[in-house]
Amino acid sequence: MFGNTGKIVWVDLDESAAQIRTLPDSYYTRFIGGAGLAAKIFWDFGDFHAAPLSPQALLIFMNGPFAGLKLSGCSRSAVAGRSPLTGHWGDSSCGGHFAPELRYAGFDGIVLEGKSKFPCVLFVEDGLVQILPAGDMWGAGVFDTTDTLRKQFGKKSRSLVIGPAGENLVNYACIINEGHHAFGRAGYGAVMGSKNLKAIIVKSSEPRYLAADPESLDALRRELDSRIRNSVTSQVFHENGTAANLEGAVHMGDVPIRNFTSSFWEEMAEALTGSTLSESYLTNKGACAFCKIACKRVVEVKEGPFAIPKGPGPEYETIAAFGSMLGSMDLAATCKAGRLCNDLGIDTITAGSTIAWGMEAYEKSAICANDTDGIVLTWGDLDTVVKTILPDIAYKKGKLGKLLGLGSFQASATLANDSWQWLTISKGMEAPMHDPRGGGHGLALTYAISHRGACHTANPMLFMEMGACYYPEIGFEYELEPMSSENKPESALLAVQIGAIENSSCFCQFADREITIPEWVQLFNYSAGYGWGLEDMMSAGLRVFYLQRLLNYRFGLRASDDDISSRLIEPAVDGAPEGIEIDFNSMKRRFYELANLDETLGIPDHRTLESLGMNDEANLVWS
Amino acid sequence: MEYWKDQHEPIIAFLKLFDKAKQDQELFEGLKKVNQLIWFDYTEDGPDCSFYVDCRNGQVTSQQGKPSEEPDLVMSLSADDAHRSWSNKLNPVMAITRKKIRVKGSATGLLKLAPKLKKVALIYEQALNELNFSEKILK
Repeated sequence: MFGNTGKIVWVDLDESAAQIRTLPDSYYTRFIGGAGLAAKIFWDFGDFHAAPLSPQALLIFMNGPFAGLKLSGCSRSAVAGRSPLTGHWGDSSCGGHFAPELRYAGFDGIVLEGKSKFPCVLFVEDGLVQILPAGDMWGAGVFDTTDTLRKQFGKKSRSLVIGPAGENLVNYACIINEGHHAFGRAGYGAVMGSKNLKAIIVKSSEPRYLAADPESLDALRRELDSRIRNSVTSQVFHENGTAANLEGAVHMGDVPIRNFTSSFWEEMAEALTGSTLSESYLTNKGACAFCKIACKRVVEVKEGPFAIPKGPGPEYETIAAFGSMLGSMDLAATCKAGRLCNDLGIDTITAGSTIAWGMEAYEKSAICANDTDGIVLTWGDLDTVVKTILPDIAYKKGKLGKLLGLGSFQASATLANDSWQWLTISKGMEAPMHDPRGGGHGLALTYAISHRGACHTANPMLFMEMGACYYPEIGFEYELEPMSSENKPESALLAVQIGAIENSSCFCQFADREITIPEWVQLFNYSAGYGWGLEDMMSAGLRVFYLQRLLNYRFGLRASDDDISSRLIEPAVDGAPEGIEIDFNSMKRRFYELANLDETLGIPDHRTLESLGMNDEANLVWS
Repeated sequence: MEYWKDQHEPIIAFLKLFDKAKQDQELFEGLKKVNQLIWFDYTEDGPDCSFYVDCRNGQVTSQQGKPSEEPDLVMSLSADDAHRSWSNKLNPVMAITRKKIRVKGSATGLLKLAPKLKKVALIYEQALNELNFSEKILK
C-alpha cells in the first residue's frame, strides 16, 4: 500500500489490550481517509446505541493519505465518533505534529473502545503499542502534561492530551497537540476522559513515506509548496495570522458581535485585528509540520490583568469568540482566555458562544442570580470569564459551571424557558465566528446541512462565497454574491464534495485553495496510488458526504434537523447586511432536490446510493 | 481596452483619485496606515501605463510610472480591471484567485484599505466627473 500504511491500532481499554488491524484497500479508495474513513469504520464496527461517553463508544483518530508528506497544509488528522455535545455523528480536525509522527510510526489511525480501569496513556512507537498508568498526570493541565510527556518519552515524541475539562466530561472538551493545536469541536476530549485516557503519545525512529510515484509526487509537491508559500493569502496569514482580515470582515458583517445581535462595531475591528495582535503581543510565528504558511501565533502579554507568559496565541475564532461575541475589544483578554482554554482543554468556539448566550440570557432574565450562585454575567466582563467562568466550566463547579459546561443547546433545554431564542446553533453545535448574514447566505445552508452541526470547515462554502475558489473543471467558474441565495444550493453541492475530500485527506483549507482539481487527482494518485480520474475523486467526496448523513440518520436525525437558529438568519439590525433576508428554506429545498435527499428522512434515495456503490448501506437504511 | 482610449487616460484618472483621496481625512489616515510603497502596474496595456503610491513615513504621494526604489508591493492587472476595481465592481479576492490581479510582495497593508473601498469608489466617481470622464462611470 502507498501513502497509507493500511494499518490501524485498535485498542480495547477494558482489557488494556491492543491489536494491529489492517483495512481493505477499497476502504481507502472509496472513503479516502481521515473523516471519511473514520465514518466507514464506525458504520461497520460502531455501536449506534452506545451513549457518547459510555465505554462502548468508539473514538477514532484517522490520518489522511498525505500525512507525513513534506508539503504545506497536509499535516492534519481527524478524530470522529458520536459527539457528547450533539449526541450524533461528528468529527474534528487538528493540525500540528501528530499526524506525520503516527504515519512514520507505521499507522493510519487509532481506534479506541472500552474504558481503562485506571488513568492511563497510550504509547505508540514504531509498531509497538503500550498502555501505561498515568495517575500522576490526572488532574494536571495540558501544558504541564505535555511537558511531562516530553520528558518521559523524549523530545521527538508527539502527544495528544486532554485537560481537566476532558477528565470532568465537559461536553465540549477538546484534545490538544503540543499545547497549541486543537481537535477543538464536538467534545472528543470528554470521550477520551470517559475512557480514562489522559494522552496518546507517538514516536517513530525515522520518517518513512512510501509513495506510489515518488518522482512525479516530488515534482508536484515542490510546485504546490512554492505556490502555497507565495500566495497572497499565505503571506497575509504568515504576517498577521488567521485574524489578518478581521477588520475587513467586520465591515462585511461577517464577524459576530454580542451573540450575533449586532453586525458592526468599528472600534472593535481595529482593536482585535491580526495586525494589532502582531504589533502588541506577537513574539514568534508558529507552524504545523512542514507548513510554509506559519499562520500560528506565539504571544506574550507582559503586563496588566490579562498578562500571560510567552506561549500559544489565539487564532481568529478564539479572538472573535472571546472578543466581539462577548462585547469586548480587549485583545489581551482574548490571549488570556485562549491560553486558559488550551490548558483546561476547552473548545474556544463553543465556550465563547455558550458564554455569549449566557450573557444574553442573563440580560433578558432567562438566567437569574439563583442559577449562577450570584455570579453576574455582563457583556465585556472578561475578568469574570477568565477568573471564574472558564475554570468553573472545566471543573463543573457551581451551578453556572455545570450549566454552561453543557454547551448552549443542552443548557437552554435544561432551563426549559425562552432562552432557546438566543441560541446560535445547528444540530446542537454552536456556529463558528462567521455570520451568514454578512459572510454569505450559502453559509446558512451549509451550516444547516453539515453532519456535525454549524461548521465553516465542513466544506469551503465560505471561501467560495468570498471568491477564493475557482474550479472550472467541475463547473465552479461563476462569481457568487455573498448576500444572496443565487446559485448557493448548486455551489453547496460542489462544496460538500470538496469539503469531504479536504477533511478526508486531512488537508488545511488555507493551504489547499492553491490546488486545482486536476492537481488534487494527481496528488492522490502519485502519493497513495488510488488510480483515480476526476469523477472518481468527486464521487468519493459525495460518498463520504452521504455516509455521514446515513450515520446521522441511524442516530435519529431527519430532514427537519437540517436547520439553523433563527438568530443566524433573521435580518441584521446594522452593518452591511442590515435588513437583508436570507431565503433559507428555498435554498434548502433546492439543495435537497440537487442532492437527491428525501425531504422527510434527509437521506439520499436508494438509486443515488447504488450509483456510488453504496448498495449495502442503501439496503440497510431503506429496508 | 474597453474603457480607455489610450494608456494615458487611466493613469490620469487614477492619479486624480489619489489626489482627492489624500484630501479626505478618513482615507488619508487609512492610506498612511498602509505604510508601503506600492506600484500599480498596468503595463500590459502600454509601457507608460502604471503609477505608484508612496504611503511611507506618514506621507502619501503618487506619481506616474515605476518608482525608482524597490516597491513593497506590486499589483499587476489590466487598466480595465483597475477601473472596475476602483469603482468597487471587481471582487479583489476573486480577481486574485483567477489571476486577473497578480500580487508580488506583502498585501497586508492593503487590507487596511479594504473597509474603505466603498468610499474610494465614491471619490473615484467624483474624480471621473471632474475629468469629464463621466461616461466611464460604472453603474
